[in-house]
Amino acid sequence: MVRHKTVLLVFRVVLGGLFVYAGAVKVVDPLDFAQNIRNYRLVGQSLAFIAALILPWLEIVAGVFLIAGIWKRGAALIISGLLVFFIVLTLVTMIRGLDVDCGCFGALSRKSGWSVILEDLAMLYLGLCLLFAKKGR
Amino acid sequence: MSEARRALRQALVLGALAVLVAAAVQFPLVMRFARGEFRDTFFPASEYPGIRMITLAEGEDLWRTGLAVVLDARAEGLFTQGHIPGARNIPAAQTGLGLPAGLLGAARNMILVVYCEGDDCQSSLALARRLHDEGFRDIRVFVGGWEAWTEAGLPEEKAERAEKDDGQA
Repeated sequence: MVRHKTVLLVFRVVLGGLFVYAGAVKVVDPLDFAQNIRNYRLVGQSLAFIAALILPWLEIVAGVFLIAGIWKRGAALIISGLLVFFIVLTLVTMIRGLDVDCGCFGALSRKSGWSVILEDLAMLYLGLCLLFAKKGR
Repeated sequence: MSEARRALRQALVLGALAVLVAAAVQFPLVMRFARGEFRDTFFPASEYPGIRMITLAEGEDLWRTGLAVVLDARAEGLFTQGHIPGARNIPAAQTGLGLPAGLLGAARNMILVVYCEGDDCQSSLALARRLHDEGFRDIRVFVGGWEAWTEAGLPEEKAERAEKDDGQA
């Protein structure tokens, strides 16, 4: 795990920034994002709608707090938890053989697959470094 | 308080904050949902007046009378394994390809019935939206799809009738 203070600061800004961006592109068109969630064929119409309203703001709030350095650990916990969920979701989708757009970064979104998992794993590494960083870093 | 518990508590508060912000910002959308909108589709019915959902009975009726052109939105592999007799395969939602030129040349007031795997599949809706964007104004989404059709013991066709020779627009 990385312990250098400056590196952890960079991690915070990069990871927080990515989450704020990912959330912002979804907030713009919540119905489109709801359809993206629905395409995974795991939840029904109502749950997809509720998730589409809340998830983007969860990403933005956690990202902003992480960048600002307020409640860093709580924000890192949310982000890491979300990333674990995204990884499992992508794996399940691949196993089920569904052809689904990941719905992850707006215009940069692409088919759910290994590249999405690798990206999530890289972000999860940053998240876990921040989650388990020593107090005050 | 231990670090772990502190982190968990922070996360819960941040989660609650996200829910509050979402509810406030998207309040108009929440109200529309509460009024019964978006229960079948996530596109506003007002923007797609030419799309409506139909049941198995309505779908069967349109197919038997030959009043509608039936379009299968599933992937080509599934289509060749079995489909509604006479249906044309337009896997445009999956492939991202354009709609077949033959279809685009058709009259915009013709009745189109679109379907995919079953209740939970979304590609028929995606295809319906694309057809609507192309100007078609009588698109009926057969919600039960292939599952409902086969469960009802209705006729199947296995011969390939893909749209390859039609070219892509």
